[in-house]
Amino acid sequence: MYLLAKTDASRFLAALAGRYEMYGPQVHPESGDVFFDRAADPGSIELDAPIPANTPKFTVFPHIERILSYIYDHEAQDVKIVPEDLVRPKALVGVRPCDLTGLLCFDRFFLGQEFVDEFFRAHRRKMFVVSVTCVRPFPQCFCVCTDSGPYAAEGYDVNLTDLGEAYLFEAGSDAGKALAAELGLPPAGPDAVKRRDEAVDRSVAQFEPVAVENKAWISRAVNRLTTGFVKNETWEYIGRQCFECGACSFVCPSCSCFNIEDVNRIDGPTERLRTWDSCSFEGYARMAGEHNPRRPVEDRRNKRFFCKLSYSQSKKYLRPGCVGCGRCVRVCPGDIGMTNVVTAIRRDITGK
Amino acid sequence: MDKTKCAAVNIPVPAEITEIREEIEDVRTFFFRFLDPELERAFPIRSGQFVMCTVFGAGEFAVSLPWSPEQDRRHLSVRNVGKVTSALHALRVGDKIGIRGPFGNGFPYDGLKGQNLIYVAGGIGLIPLRSSIVHVLLHRPDFGRIILLYGARSTKDLMYRPNIEDWRKRDGFETFVTIDRAEPGWDGEVGFVHTLIEKAKIPTENTTAFVCGPPIMFNAVIGELSRRGLKDDRIISTLERHMKCGIGKCQHCAIGRTLVCTDGPVYTYKQIKTLGETI
Repeated sequence: MYLLAKTDASRFLAALAGRYEMYGPQVHPESGDVFFDRAADPGSIELDAPIPANTPKFTVFPHIERILSYIYDHEAQDVKIVPEDLVRPKALVGVRPCDLTGLLCFDRFFLGQEFVDEFFRAHRRKMFVVSVTCVRPFPQCFCVCTDSGPYAAEGYDVNLTDLGEAYLFEAGSDAGKALAAELGLPPAGPDAVKRRDEAVDRSVAQFEPVAVENKAWISRAVNRLTTGFVKNETWEYIGRQCFECGACSFVCPSCSCFNIEDVNRIDGPTERLRTWDSCSFEGYARMAGEHNPRRPVEDRRNKRFFCKLSYSQSKKYLRPGCVGCGRCVRVCPGDIGMTNVVTAIRRDITGK
Repeated sequence: MDKTKCAAVNIPVPAEITEIREEIEDVRTFFFRFLDPELERAFPIRSGQFVMCTVFGAGEFAVSLPWSPEQDRRHLSVRNVGKVTSALHALRVGDKIGIRGPFGNGFPYDGLKGQNLIYVAGGIGLIPLRSSIVHVLLHRPDFGRIILLYGARSTKDLMYRPNIEDWRKRDGFETFVTIDRAEPGWDGEVGFVHTLIEKAKIPTENTTAFVCGPPIMFNAVIGELSRRGLKDDRIISTLERHMKCGIGKCQHCAIGRTLVCTDGPVYTYKQIKTLGETI
């Protein structure tokens, strides 16, 4: 463990910028909103900014990504296929533990199943991840209930914890250790761990009581969902509330459904694009010939929560898919983010 | 169910259409050869698997394999039903298509030795079953009775008629074909396909049934087979879903906790009952 003085933060970022494409939280100059985005100037990354509105998942799973292009000559009946080269080393700086947990879910899902997703692997390869202990949770946050924060347990090259005048710099990989040596960082003193834990405790104390109360209810909801004991009226209620906008999927660190389409460019090759998709959309499961096995909205809404919480899905992630970032709670116009769904399931069980 | 190695996972491999055959109204069979001689020599599949077929400039669709793992020309039989399949139907001999796969588990084969096999198909549901029928006929002595029960709306909707005529002539292959309503010139059976189960006097001991067709036919057939005592894990079907990737990532084909592309498309009726969703 080392100390990174706040005055040294720019040196730290510059060292990374020399070898990686830089991504991190940046504050929008007009609105004051925080977005996790590409940083052409590493100095624009703000390590102490509040939680970004979006997740960093687009760095490994872009909103729209060309996975292949081809030219078909109808006259000559000939095709030329051009695969994409997607390897671009990236550094993600200022990743929250919830988002980091989402990234680890992606690793297990995209790399650890029967097939490896080569497009994901290309992005993830040679990636350097700097996580930050989350010292300023949002009112909607509940990572304390989903074992995914506010302190990152694994999956980072470097984790930073704000100790006031300096960051505690914890190296989680050889690359992280090498960077500490290169920057000549001083070792952290014997009280560093205690000060880190105090910072984590102060963060936990800021969580809304309801978030902490939900802790037991989430595991009960997992149980009810897995065994199929959630009442149909509960799903119908959730379905009625759903605007089918897909926002919950798009802000979710562990949602990874995608669509694939071939798009013809004028005077250019056809591009095969994979784009974010959401299981809340009516056309999601519709087949050619208009047969749609998931037409009713509640049939689609329960699938998302099944995907986030059921045991069978958790096997793919080695944990529940929900990482407690609270973003679906913040963006849902129908007020059926994860915490409210858990509350609905609680009412379903207790009747109050 | 053991898996066959997948020859093309992410990037479609080009193939040339060598012959186009009209099967029935809106359904054509496209024979093809791979441009890569290595793939043309060996593209191992299992009956019941599927490929993702690219129509260049239009997109990609999932399609079940009608050809047998051995001694059969590679071809796809496709109904013109949507954007990409209609673009396929506009192609000519010599045009190129792209193939990814093969994907999916496929029909069980090893556990079938010594069993009676009943194939029950409705309409174009015969397409995936054709692969298995051709395959088991090459190994005829390994099985008990082999029976095909096939139904379609009319004579115009009967798939693979030359194949059916061939099979009818073979010893040890019992063929029953029905159409929904009587037609002039048709002296075969009339009625829905599940009524053939009675007429064929099917065995129920040591018997596996393969059922493929539209949901209404499927339910009627399952009911009839179950009533005769065929066990749920001896009734096998193959399911269809909207698919984008074929490799278990895009999640479009999720039914309950399974993905049709990697856990299926072949399921026993016992499994189908536990999926918790309408098929």
